[in-house]
Amino acid sequence: MTNELIDFVIISIALLAIGIYGVSVKRNAIRMLFAIEIIINAANLNLVAFARFIPNSQGQTFALFSIAIAAAEVAVGLALIIVAYRMYKNVDIAEFRSLKG
Amino acid sequence: MIEITSPPVILIAILGTIGMILPVISILRKEKGSSSLYGAIAFGALIASIGYVVYEVFTNQIPQSALFSGDVLANDSFSALFAIAMLIVSIMTTVGSFNFMRGQSHPAVYYSLILLSTIGMVLVAYSTDLVMLFVAWELMSIPTYVLAGFMKKNPSSNEAALKYFLFGALSSAIIVYGISLVYGLTGSTNIGVVIAGLATLDPQMMPLAILAVGMFIAGFGFKMGLVPFHMWLPDTYEGAPPTITALLAAGTKKAGFAAALRVIIMGTVALNLDWSFALAVIAVMTMTVGNVAAIMQKNISRMLAYSSIGHAGYILIGLAVAPFTILGIQGSLFHILNHAVMKGAAFIAIAGIVVALGITNIDKLKGLGRKMPIISIGLVISLLALAGVPPTAGFWSKLMLFGSALDTGVPSWAPWLAIAGVLNSALSLAYYGWIIRKMYFEGETEKRIAEPKSIIAVMIFSIIFLVGIGVYPDPIIDFTKTAVPSLSALITPSG
Repeated sequence: MTNELIDFVIISIALLAIGIYGVSVKRNAIRMLFAIEIIINAANLNLVAFARFIPNSQGQTFALFSIAIAAAEVAVGLALIIVAYRMYKNVDIAEFRSLKG
Repeated sequence: MIEITSPPVILIAILGTIGMILPVISILRKEKGSSSLYGAIAFGALIASIGYVVYEVFTNQIPQSALFSGDVLANDSFSALFAIAMLIVSIMTTVGSFNFMRGQSHPAVYYSLILLSTIGMVLVAYSTDLVMLFVAWELMSIPTYVLAGFMKKNPSSNEAALKYFLFGALSSAIIVYGISLVYGLTGSTNIGVVIAGLATLDPQMMPLAILAVGMFIAGFGFKMGLVPFHMWLPDTYEGAPPTITALLAAGTKKAGFAAALRVIIMGTVALNLDWSFALAVIAVMTMTVGNVAAIMQKNISRMLAYSSIGHAGYILIGLAVAPFTILGIQGSLFHILNHAVMKGAAFIAIAGIVVALGITNIDKLKGLGRKMPIISIGLVISLLALAGVPPTAGFWSKLMLFGSALDTGVPSWAPWLAIAGVLNSALSLAYYGWIIRKMYFEGETEKRIAEPKSIIAVMIFSIIFLVGIGVYPDPIIDFTKTAVPSLSALITPSG
């Protein structure tokens, strides 16, 4: 088992692909939120892996920032999803049709 | 180190403190009712902030070219221009909300979120480090997700907020990924170091660098409303409360351009690729899609949302020709400032119509010119400015943008940008004219009704601003000129 940088980058790009797939195919708001979280975590993996091979710690610092901000974002997002669920009894964004043009 | 008295620090201190204190005050106060108190406090904080920035600009304490500093924040006139534009928008939103928030719940939270979002927008313009840029970007975005859904009982506000949240969160996820890639490629998150690193990159790493810049374009493009990343924008602008739509269209969108000017343009120039052409294609697509779709709309908010997409296309002309002429970015900056005021004024006018009459359908605007004369004249002036009719500010900035595309002559496709822009402006005059015709030349003899006072104040300010700059644009043009060299100094050697 080697610790090559390229392995981490490949995993991260695979996670990115999964995330993009999830966002573009799924229409359930919570699934889309999960897919977005996967992209953010792919980026965090990248940052930490790069920071291991670069002689400064900016990457790790940024990963911490990004985790905290993602948590704040998810909190707001879940609140919005709950409000929408109370109104529509559904979290499928294809079912929300009050705005059409 | 950045000085403790420099504008960004002072702005964080003033707006942050007031933004945090407002909800506390609302808990401590026993009696309910007067929402105007919180609005007045927020208004005072914003006025103090803009006063400080303008004072710093006029006393010439702001250096011209500190675009890339070793610090996380740069204090230069480029950022000052954006800070002024965004603070104007926030002031217009806050004042416009006095009447809009009457009778709504949680006014303190509302104004507090506007202030926090304003800090984010201003810091996006000031930041020269990708970490700072990302934190500011999120500080700008997260409060606006909540604000877009602030009318909790209203299904369309809800839907608008959820769609805005999903696309906004996706865009910031993509931006983080782009940042992680450039960090890996260049070993730093300082934008200046990143650009220098990208310019001397190992050719083998080029695909990753292209992926990173593409991700920046996609991520910032979501907020800017560039085609093909625009699909959330009409829904959100229509469903969100109209005062918040003013903040989104005029404020957060401009922050996207601030980030784009710092990051994308620099990155594309450093990579020595033909990105200008890609940006030009996006510009033409964006303005055409926006203006053509706007013609078919029945709802005035939705129409202005599409027109906002079209204007993102005009501003992008300046970015596309930026490597070839200074005038490009100068025109973009000027149009960003103008568009902030005119779009803000138009949406605040809609907020006034919604408060007084509760309608947004264009067919029902018949005879509005007689019912609500002051708000109507404000709406007309801002629509004419959006179309670029001569005695208004919009004319000069469009002239500069299209002129920059004609002037360069270096890329053979540049004049076509100007032609597309002029054709689209003519097209846009058709649907703006339709609204104006409905308001003044249709309907019977309507009685005049009471207009919301705070919105009248915003209208008067924007009429003075738009017509004043339209008649005498020189000071603003000079100011945008001082904001530009900081960018072009870096573009010319490597481009």
